[in-house]
Amino acid sequence: MERKIGVYVCECGPNIAEKVDIDKVVGAVSSLDGVVVVEKYKLLCSADGKKFLEEEIKKHGITHLVIAACSPKQHEKTFMEVCENAGINPYLYQLANIREQCAWITEDKDEATKKAIRLIKAAIGRVKYHSSLEKKEIECNPAVLIIGGGVAGINASLELASPDRKIYLVEKTSSLGGMITNFEKTYPSMQPSSHILKQKILDMDKNENIQVFIDSNVEEIIGFFGNFEIKVKKKEVDEPAEFEVGAVMLATGSNFFDLKKTPQYGYEKFDNIFTALEFEKMNLSGEISLKNGKTPRSVAIIHCVGRDEKGYCSEICCMYSLKFIRYLKDKIPDAQVSNFYSDLCIPGKSYQKFYEQTKGKNVDFIRSTNVEVTKKENKLSIKYIDENGNKNSLLVDMVILAPAIEPTSDVSELAEIAGISQGDGGFFAEEHEKLNPVSTSTDGVYIVGCAQGPKNISDTIVQSGAAAGKILASLIPGKKMEIEVKTSHISESFCIGCKVCISVCSYGAITFDEAKKISVVNEVICRGCGNCVAACPSGAATSKHFTFKQIHQELLEAVK
Amino acid sequence: MTKETEKFEPRIVGFLCNWCSYAGADLAGTSKLKIPSSLTPIRVMCSSRIDPVLVTTAFLHGADGVLIAGCHPGDCHYDKGNYYARRRFAVLKKVIEGLGLESDRLRLSWVSASEGQRFAEVINEFNEKIKKMGPNPIKVKTSL
Repeated sequence: MERKIGVYVCECGPNIAEKVDIDKVVGAVSSLDGVVVVEKYKLLCSADGKKFLEEEIKKHGITHLVIAACSPKQHEKTFMEVCENAGINPYLYQLANIREQCAWITEDKDEATKKAIRLIKAAIGRVKYHSSLEKKEIECNPAVLIIGGGVAGINASLELASPDRKIYLVEKTSSLGGMITNFEKTYPSMQPSSHILKQKILDMDKNENIQVFIDSNVEEIIGFFGNFEIKVKKKEVDEPAEFEVGAVMLATGSNFFDLKKTPQYGYEKFDNIFTALEFEKMNLSGEISLKNGKTPRSVAIIHCVGRDEKGYCSEICCMYSLKFIRYLKDKIPDAQVSNFYSDLCIPGKSYQKFYEQTKGKNVDFIRSTNVEVTKKENKLSIKYIDENGNKNSLLVDMVILAPAIEPTSDVSELAEIAGISQGDGGFFAEEHEKLNPVSTSTDGVYIVGCAQGPKNISDTIVQSGAAAGKILASLIPGKKMEIEVKTSHISESFCIGCKVCISVCSYGAITFDEAKKISVVNEVICRGCGNCVAACPSGAATSKHFTFKQIHQELLEAVK
Repeated sequence: MTKETEKFEPRIVGFLCNWCSYAGADLAGTSKLKIPSSLTPIRVMCSSRIDPVLVTTAFLHGADGVLIAGCHPGDCHYDKGNYYARRRFAVLKKVIEGLGLESDRLRLSWVSASEGQRFAEVINEFNEKIKKMGPNPIKVKTSL
């Protein structure tokens, strides 16, 4: 078929027209091989502009389209739609960015004009080598697997479950609720934590679209976004349960720092030293007491336990330590409570107020380093260096340690099963710290709550809602899912079976065909980065829409 | 001779990754920063797509400088692509020396989508450096 290239240069109002001599540009590219029409237009992205383009494509029988306008980040998709409406494949088009990366950054008009010509010539050269690519859609399963039955998993289950979306919640312990079930109250409202959970767990029980597996672990997750196959093993049951889902959410929570690594705090060596969790449980049982049954008159809360060892602040320890002061004051109003801290982390709109309301009579905050706990007669002695560098000590009846939050012991195993990576502190790694904090490097696998990093209950709920939202927006019951078209492809005849591509792929998108001894791209999983293409020593791998020939054409113009 | 060098306008090929550096270059544009017209940006999805053959081809065709720009370490849209780009860059430096070119004609920089200013600094600095180095000697040889 004869190639007919149409080139349309956008003036973008005054944005391009003032900085680039558009008539000169039009003149310079009109007689190029394959170009049948070159026109300028005042604003191509406007409704009139799009209509104009559509008519032009039809009128001139244009087969390949070049638009010279703004950045592809702005309007690449706009003109792809125009192509579709005009009946040409949207990949037979190239956008030359003569606004952001030419008109707006070049001082001299002549220079800008020359550069615009170069960029348009590169686009014309490139578009000749474009191939039609077909939109690909796959059937997807709207069901979701949620691992972890704490507040994050429960919240997400309830957000997601509906008659056309089944939820499978897998919890490794024998009951739902997670960490919060140990808490009498939550900060800063000091409302009973049962307020948060009780009703939700009842709702879970009633909801027939949620299937809960307790005492169970996920053994296998294979497949890709939209179509994962899951195996779940219940303790003391031989046969694993098998089912299919479209997305996976890891809400596996966290663990506490191992106090054996910080012997200076005397944990398990002396009586009446408790971890934060042990203290929560003691408080929940109704009575705060020493081992001998007596009521403590003085209590030390040591913050930041394990912070130096872990290398990060666990965000929530200061606030729950303040909550512990409230617990103590409720039950033993005249108790003396001393907090040993290195930095107080009380951010946000309500925490400072909580702190102000908590400090007061018989409550001390001592900024200290080198804290050590020893036994002195029947009391515990806290030795420390204060803010002024002086050595000091204090005798107390009871010590509460606030240890760092760390990933659960099975985090590596779960990361492996779900095909995601671990990041800072060993927590599951998010796709992007700011832009995609609940997505991971594997499409369709989400991380929420403390499994992603230490956080409080509110932030945990926010994340589980965010991940639920992402799933609701992308896995729509009855709708097919559009997948990346610009994937890699490996030529059967050129592949030498060296498997280098398999070793560099971050997504496990390439498998080895043992019968043919060649590598094969699973285009459903491939995200189209092109790493395998650069790594392939035999030239068998290509990136669709970013082929060597296409980039080479741009190169040729760039060096002229 | 000095006059010749003054007149010399380099040709620089900039392979920019779609997610970070191309967006950073766009931001330099929206911020109306000054970028030398010697640069021709070529958008690729990831810095890991930049085939060593593409870079050597650019030099053989006469590029005076080649810039590879990608996401900062740890920020790659495709997880680890920029680390592969960095390894290939290290090897490529040796390869282009083998071609008889100064290895400084190839530059790798991390530029995020929010670093328009940094993109401008990187390319202006590189452009000045290439100007001082003069034309690609392979190009001179082939044109003789």
